[in-house]
Amino acid sequence: MTQAEIKLCSLLLQEHFGEIVEKIGTHLIKTGSQPLRVIANDTGMSLDQVKKALCVLIQHNLVTYQLQKRGFVEYEAPCSRVLRILRYPRYIYTAKTLYSDMGELIVEELLLNGKMTMSAVVRKVADRLTETMEDGKTMDYGEVSNTFMRLADTHFIQRCPMAPETTETSDAPPPPAPTLAVNEKDMYVVPNLNLIGKGKRRRSFEDEDNGEHKAKRQKQDADSQESPPDDGIYWQANIDRFHQHFRDQAIVSAVANRMDQTSSEIVRTMLRMSEITTSSTAPYTQPLSSNEIFRSLPAGYNIVKQILDQYLTLLADDPLEFVGKSGDSGGGMYVINLHKALATLATATLESVVQERFGSRCARIFRLLLRKKHLEQKQVEDFAMIPAKEAKDMLYKMLSENFVSLQEIPKTPDHAPSRTFYLYTVNTLSSARMLLHRCYKSVANLIERRQYETKENKRLLEKSQRVEAILASMQATGAEEVQLQEIEEMITAPERQQLENLKRNVNKIDASENQVDETIFVLESYIESTVKKP
Amino acid sequence: RIKESQNAGKMKGSDNQEKLVYQIIEDAANKGIWSRDIRYKSNLPLTEINKILKNLESKKLIKAVKSVAASKKKVYMLYNLQPDRSVTGGAWYSDQDFESEFVEVLNQQCCKFLQTKAEAARDSKQNPMIQRNSSFASSHEVWKYICELGISKVELSMEDIETILNTLIYDGKVEMTIIAAKEGTVGSVDGHMKLYRAVNPIIQPTGLIRTPCGLCPVFDDCHEGGEISPSNCIYMVEWLEF
Repeated sequence: MTQAEIKLCSLLLQEHFGEIVEKIGTHLIKTGSQPLRVIANDTGMSLDQVKKALCVLIQHNLVTYQLQKRGFVEYEAPCSRVLRILRYPRYIYTAKTLYSDMGELIVEELLLNGKMTMSAVVRKVADRLTETMEDGKTMDYGEVSNTFMRLADTHFIQRCPMAPETTETSDAPPPPAPTLAVNEKDMYVVPNLNLIGKGKRRRSFEDEDNGEHKAKRQKQDADSQESPPDDGIYWQANIDRFHQHFRDQAIVSAVANRMDQTSSEIVRTMLRMSEITTSSTAPYTQPLSSNEIFRSLPAGYNIVKQILDQYLTLLADDPLEFVGKSGDSGGGMYVINLHKALATLATATLESVVQERFGSRCARIFRLLLRKKHLEQKQVEDFAMIPAKEAKDMLYKMLSENFVSLQEIPKTPDHAPSRTFYLYTVNTLSSARMLLHRCYKSVANLIERRQYETKENKRLLEKSQRVEAILASMQATGAEEVQLQEIEEMITAPERQQLENLKRNVNKIDASENQVDETIFVLESYIESTVKKP
Repeated sequence: RIKESQNAGKMKGSDNQEKLVYQIIEDAANKGIWSRDIRYKSNLPLTEINKILKNLESKKLIKAVKSVAASKKKVYMLYNLQPDRSVTGGAWYSDQDFESEFVEVLNQQCCKFLQTKAEAARDSKQNPMIQRNSSFASSHEVWKYICELGISKVELSMEDIETILNTLIYDGKVEMTIIAAKEGTVGSVDGHMKLYRAVNPIIQPTGLIRTPCGLCPVFDDCHEGGEISPSNCIYMVEWLEF
């Protein structure tokens, strides 16, 4: 929980949930797990406010609670989970590419609401889709349920832990906090709902058939009073699965860049086959035989078995070492080295940062040090073929930014500088951590800049909003062209230009936040993969 | 008489000393020898050594060559010998200056050669094994290509070309494999050959450096409410107008 991380979390919470939640959330992140009263005391807010804020945070899976031995409940907010808020757009976009608009809306609803029952999701998504369709058409609940089930089958959404079933008449008082648990087998099982219905449009003002609407309204109220059959079974988005998908995407695109399209398709097939069978933290996927891979290739690729074998041999021999051969049965057993792939991607990220910040000659020195591990000043100059003065300058610059570190090897016990070897070296893990910290701070800077830009132009934004509201109401009451034009001219041309600029800037900053988040993902995955779990 | 014999002794003495120093320098052959080393070996005082060295130089029997490693050091060697590579730096140094432009030009030429070879292999559309093998070039091939190009005034050996190719590896543009080759095939050294192949980088330039914060020189001083802050960052202003 570095300063930069805390700052970023507080900015994200403030933007998405407001001041009060932000205060409580930040306090919890800073101080670890605390009981309710202590939170209220430390933040100086009323108990009621704290309770409401905690409700919001728990609903969105940002805060967990635990029943301590003494009988009170402690609340904890893991910093990493709050930082995921930054990645929500990427999750939604992935769902869109895999399952088109329906998947996108389902995942968006789940992320926006934290936890939802299946029937609520289906109803909302159908309504939203119906809005966008042409007049007269509506979205059937069945299609949405199908997409929902497919999302659950591929583990992109999962059930939330539920309160245990209460046994009959237990005399002991209920515990202060229920312990939630979910059965592993049931995590992706979709309840058997018979959702029949169609999406409804929102009421529009110009309605000729008011009578019908009244009837419909009554009927809808009657529907919502019955409790849906899947009450209590809540779903949430499975973030780990999305991360696995991003990681696979990165590996496939790296292979495509280094080799060719066909090799990347083969690697994609192998990763797809191991999606469900390999856990997300495993260093290698399960071994896959070349026969299995051949059968699972997508239909469009009709390559002969021998060619596939050649590609697999080439992939296994490549210096990148993404794919390894683990045996010869079944035509050759191949695995994908996940940890090695993550390390290579993280190293490539480091190299590209060095290249852009210091120049390609520095990048040459950096890669040289990565390969040869430890080198003296003189050896660096010789291997990299860079004049001595420039090489020295570049090494010192990188040293000052902590990309490169010095290792002292004394020749004499008194460590005299003239009689000591100084070796330059690159430590990938610590450089990755440093870069990650920098990324967090950059995103915080970008968010602040965006808020600043919006604040600067607040007056203009309010004015344009008022004008739009006036326009809309006048159009509804059937005003003339001339009057409409008069209202539009209330915003002068330079102001319009300023608004355009503002919109463009905000979009640009938003897009770059997402780009930095991609770097964050690669570095975080790498650092996580190096942490040895007990 | 005594004076004469003394004089004669001195002359002979200095002759002996000169002969000794000359012998030492001759032994050092190509590499030359530093004046302090001569002193250790001959056990003569410094002033004597300097006198003798000046004598020999004026007689054009030895010469002083500046070492490229430490520019203040002077090594002495016989007049008609060519200084060794380690002293003058070999093909990359001309008169103690590192020829960085020459190295750059060679760098780019080798890179282009390997890239065209890889593209030709990719376009040939044969099965992947053959494609990959034909995109490799051995160091001997590259050496021949560079010699034929004739851009080098100095004669380059295969080791020189290999050092250039190594810098290309450190640039991330080329990868190398070593294969076992029969003795006697062209370009093989001690039973193995080095093959080089042009490659593409595996990722696009990463997201952090597309923002001004990634490249900002005053990143550590920047915080909200300070002199340098995201709100008044001039780099952001320029970047947003881009």
